[in-house]
Amino acid sequence: MKLSLLFFAVGMLLVLLQTTFLHLLPLGPVVPDLILVLCVYWGLYYPNVAAVLGSFALGYSVDVVSSPILGLNAFAMSLVFLIVYLSSRSIWLHNPLISAIVVFLASLVKGAALVLVWAVFLSMEGLWTGAARYIIMEALVAAFLAPFVFALLRRGQSYLEQIRVTAE
Amino acid sequence: MVAFLRKNQVLLSSGFCLLLSLYILTAAARGHLKQDPVGPILLWLMRPLQIAAQAATGWIKEIDQRYATVAGFRTENDRLRKRIQELEVERNKLLEAQATNQHLQQLLEFRSHLPSGSITASIIGNSASSWFQSCLLDKGSADGIRKGMAVVTPLGVVGQVVSTTSRSAKVLLITDANSGVDVLVQRTRARGIVSGSLENVTIMKYVKRSEDIQEGDRLITSGLDGVFPKGLMVGTAVKVRKQSLGLFQYVEVMPAVSSAQIEEVLVVGGEPSQAKN
Repeated sequence: MKLSLLFFAVGMLLVLLQTTFLHLLPLGPVVPDLILVLCVYWGLYYPNVAAVLGSFALGYSVDVVSSPILGLNAFAMSLVFLIVYLSSRSIWLHNPLISAIVVFLASLVKGAALVLVWAVFLSMEGLWTGAARYIIMEALVAAFLAPFVFALLRRGQSYLEQIRVTAE
Repeated sequence: MVAFLRKNQVLLSSGFCLLLSLYILTAAARGHLKQDPVGPILLWLMRPLQIAAQAATGWIKEIDQRYATVAGFRTENDRLRKRIQELEVERNKLLEAQATNQHLQQLLEFRSHLPSGSITASIIGNSASSWFQSCLLDKGSADGIRKGMAVVTPLGVVGQVVSTTSRSAKVLLITDANSGVDVLVQRTRARGIVSGSLENVTIMKYVKRSEDIQEGDRLITSGLDGVFPKGLMVGTAVKVRKQSLGLFQYVEVMPAVSSAQIEEVLVVGGEPSQAKN
């Protein structure tokens, strides 16, 4: 429970970062999707009901601060979590490259889900051509950052564990 | 039964969240979701953090700019460098004060031309997603901002308010693919709709092939959309192409206002009327 709260707090911090500091990076229109990386980590290592609700809530938070229509990112994050959870039994993350690949694929799934839902609920011209570029750019940036974020989350966990052991 | 639920609790809760998000999407898309119960609380909680983070972001930008300025003088001797730094800091302060003064004067002057009830607001956050071009303002419904109000600066149109809480407002920028501003070509009065696209370019849509439009033409609001006052600068046509097929021309637009460079905006209320641009 404590771990889920920690992850959720980190997620909210990432929402804050994505709306402010990360816009300083010279990546053009792309904002690194660290929330997705967090949800993938959560889905791979700690898949429980709190994690499902946390992923949904983080997606919803992104909707609240930036999406013109509520539910888009909440849907995409929930779907990513579900797919990562289902495939977690057959994935063995033993090095940073594999984690980058998993995040890359998860980002593609999220992009595809967004475009699909977008096409259904918000009709727009040129959606498919424009979206392909965004999906790939976002996935590459997320994959590049994934090993660092995974390492940071692991360190945060060890710190919590250390505190717990000391307290006992 | 309990064992089944316990065994599949992650799958079941994931399914529930997917269905819930689809329900929210459907309700929001049909306009049935009049009041989001969670969003305002979340924005209220995040508002002070965002204001602080945005201030820190501005500080980082300033340091970056100051560093770039100072880096040019590295080859000079220490005494001169120190003196230049002092002068530079002093100059920056003066320039900043002058620019702020000028900017506020412009806003005041511009505000007098807009419908009554215009509200000055600061941008406290940008979009958290690459897919949407939006920003958050530090004022909301408690300050008189309502959904659908136009957001402008003396340089031109910024966007439109899409949702509000009591102390913040979300603005969909004109560069977002979901936005649309009814515009006129200032020179020929040809009409069209300016909108963003996912290809990171802003385009003017629905310009008939027969219309006279050239690169460099200024685009202004027509006032016909009932949102933006007439005569506000929207952008400049930078690429005009008549495609071999189709009824319309392809017109690429350079927006007059870059959201990355603005800090204060005016939220325009009241009935749209003619603005002096």
